[in-house]
Amino acid sequence: MSEPSRPGTADARALRTGSFSSIFNTVGVYAIAILFLALGALLQATGAIGNFLSPKNLLNIVDAAALVGIVAVGMAFVTYSGNFADMSVPTTMGFTGYICIELLRFGFVPALLGSLAVGLLIGVLNGFVVGKFKANPIIWTLAVNYVTMGVIRLVWVNKQIYPDMRGSSDAVVALFDSIYRLRFFNLIGLPLVILAVLVVMGQFVLTKTSFGIKLKLTGSSLRAAKLSGIAVERTIVLSFVIAAFTATIAGLAITSLARVGAWYNGAGYDFKAVTAIVIGGMTLAGGRGTILGVLGGSLIIAILNNILTLIGINTFSQDMIRGAIFIIVVGMNALSLRNLGRDDA
Amino acid sequence: MRHVSKRFPGTIAVDDVSFEVRAGEVHALVGENGAGKSTLMKMLAGSFDDYTGEIVVGGQLALLHSPTLAKRHGIGMIYQELSLARPISITENLLAGRLPRRGPFLDKGRARTQAKELLASVGLDLDPNLPIEDISQHEAQLVEIAKVLGNKPTILVMDEPTSALSHEEVERLFCIIGDLKSRGIAIVYISHHLPEIFRIADRVTVMRDGKKIATTPVAVASREEIVQMMVGRSVKEFYRREERSIGDVRLRVRGLSRFGFFHEVHFEARRGEILGICGLSGAGRTELAKVLTGLDRADEGTIELDGKPVRGSTMANFLEQGISYLTEDRKTEGLAVRLPLDDNVLSAIVDRLSSVGIFSKARGKPRVDRLIGELAIYPPDPSRTVGNLSGGNQQKVLLAKWLASEPKVLILDEPTRGVDIGAKMTIHASIEKLAREGCTVLLISSDLPELVGLCDRVMIMRKGHFIREMQYSECSEESLLLAANGDTGRPAACPDPQGRPS
Repeated sequence: MSEPSRPGTADARALRTGSFSSIFNTVGVYAIAILFLALGALLQATGAIGNFLSPKNLLNIVDAAALVGIVAVGMAFVTYSGNFADMSVPTTMGFTGYICIELLRFGFVPALLGSLAVGLLIGVLNGFVVGKFKANPIIWTLAVNYVTMGVIRLVWVNKQIYPDMRGSSDAVVALFDSIYRLRFFNLIGLPLVILAVLVVMGQFVLTKTSFGIKLKLTGSSLRAAKLSGIAVERTIVLSFVIAAFTATIAGLAITSLARVGAWYNGAGYDFKAVTAIVIGGMTLAGGRGTILGVLGGSLIIAILNNILTLIGINTFSQDMIRGAIFIIVVGMNALSLRNLGRDDA
Repeated sequence: MRHVSKRFPGTIAVDDVSFEVRAGEVHALVGENGAGKSTLMKMLAGSFDDYTGEIVVGGQLALLHSPTLAKRHGIGMIYQELSLARPISITENLLAGRLPRRGPFLDKGRARTQAKELLASVGLDLDPNLPIEDISQHEAQLVEIAKVLGNKPTILVMDEPTSALSHEEVERLFCIIGDLKSRGIAIVYISHHLPEIFRIADRVTVMRDGKKIATTPVAVASREEIVQMMVGRSVKEFYRREERSIGDVRLRVRGLSRFGFFHEVHFEARRGEILGICGLSGAGRTELAKVLTGLDRADEGTIELDGKPVRGSTMANFLEQGISYLTEDRKTEGLAVRLPLDDNVLSAIVDRLSSVGIFSKARGKPRVDRLIGELAIYPPDPSRTVGNLSGGNQQKVLLAKWLASEPKVLILDEPTRGVDIGAKMTIHASIEKLAREGCTVLLISSDLPELVGLCDRVMIMRKGHFIREMQYSECSEESLLLAANGDTGRPAACPDPQGRPS
């Protein structure tokens, strides 16, 4: 309730509803990233882990953050549109990797374009079914994930494939290998450069373009957006296409890193990306958050993984810890939304 | 309630209010949106555990820190928004939490009988096995009342119980209230409709800005006095008509039908004209609006704008050509309540403010500022989240959104439902100004004084047909009501309640 003529009310309420978002807003998320870095340094100082602050390890962190970040920045558009997450990301990554390797025999550029086309097709399909037919986005994209996995294992008879075994020329294979390995000034990897470009573009698209504004309205209230004359189906399709686009790029990078096409190449990236998005301050309810925040979230995920690996915690326990963090963040997020809802009364 | 207060951070929603309601009395609680009525009643319902002051129920001090405690003290709440679960049956809704059992199993026979009894107590004769979604809105409202009565309350709070009901249905509700009163139940009745209060209330308490202004017996109060206490200023003339010049035909609708909803609708509306559409709920008004605005497709007929058929078939096409639609459902269809004011106001003109795909908020800013000033939206802060505004201000934001689209034809569906008098006056003034500037306004409303006060002409709709047209000179609340009800214009007689729960 807001009564007239009460100065100060606005600030007080802004403070209250902002209590959560002030921790997980764009600035806050980087503060947390720095906190995690400090934690790593502390662990190194106490001798619990070695070499956390070594240049090589820091580079590892950044490289890992680049891969998670590329996926998360694209998927953030789906989250922002109010459709939670694109769970078909892992096999989209794996599948486009296979396609690229198969097409390398026709040259590097055709292989890139071919795998991109396949990736975008998955995005269009997801967006169309979710946007037009109102399918539950999680269930649908999860189904697509499994169907795609089935297709991979059927077509390639459950085999992994290698770039140099498909009659592609050595030069082309070398080019493919360099997707992940190319480093500018012997330092900055290509994925990181791609991520930087995606973040700048993503932030611009989300805040400055008419598509971004429409996406915000769609994510905040689908019905109200529709009754404002916004083509919500088109907006949703585009958001899934963007998610598929970045998943494809990440898929190619990880396939290049592994030098092998495998169905499990993208495994875990769905959840890593969602966690990065949520930690980055984007609400699962849609219409709120920033791409810069998502970048920070990806950084946190990468630092956390790195520390856990250095401590010697196995993958399964790492999954558990990531899951717990996700639950905590989503819980706090929901709580802050509920506080906001209480103010609606 | 003695000297009760409730603070929200930065705000005192209820400030040292003392309030009492006696057994067998209907006590009306009135005030503008944001006056603190709902907060006061939520306190009674046990929604807060941090109020100050004392609440005394039946002579004993009661600590109402949770809804369960409130229920145990015999307090029943009927909210504006229904609290029924739509897909499950009436029986299960009515008896939620106290379904009769035989051993570990549900006693279906007994549940059915009990449900029947409860339904009969509110004058309903329905199959208790029907799911809620299969019954009408007003039946659901009555089921809600029956549900609360099932808890045998001694105090019953009704928050705007008539806002979604048609005239006949309101009459029936009043009969039921009369019956409850005679059973010695104390009733607190919150409403914006003053005539209702004069019909059924014994006493009225006026609140403003979280404070109690006065409590007075209805018999000695005048409508003028109450309005003045509510708004804190004198409302001499609610509607002051200014001359408007009416121009050429702008909208021509011929033989428009959407099967099952409305048939053969035929009318013309001119520049600068406010054309009312009057009808009971279910007459097809909203369905007609949704076709006129491109949301739904017509099965037959044509819509012409300035002599040419409207191009395209989507709402975006219609909007582009100058037809805008303000929905009756503000919270889910009208506004994105989690977004700030300016985003909402500009939401219908995103494309118009963009060039080569780049959106310019700066270009829309003068428009937002002008509309905030024009509609006196409070607080005048474009970055404020709309969900944090009061109902009346939210409605102003919704109107601002459609004014920003600079429509040739503006279709308003219940533009002032549930808003306070101050906001209503502002909205009315704005509609009149819009018409003076040459816009054609279609006004769909259940608020008869609003139709009478604003419209140049009113079309009467009944059961999907336009049955009559009335000029301003013929319009009065009574004549519209009679026409909308068809031949039998009499208010329905009180049905005899057949049974009561013991």
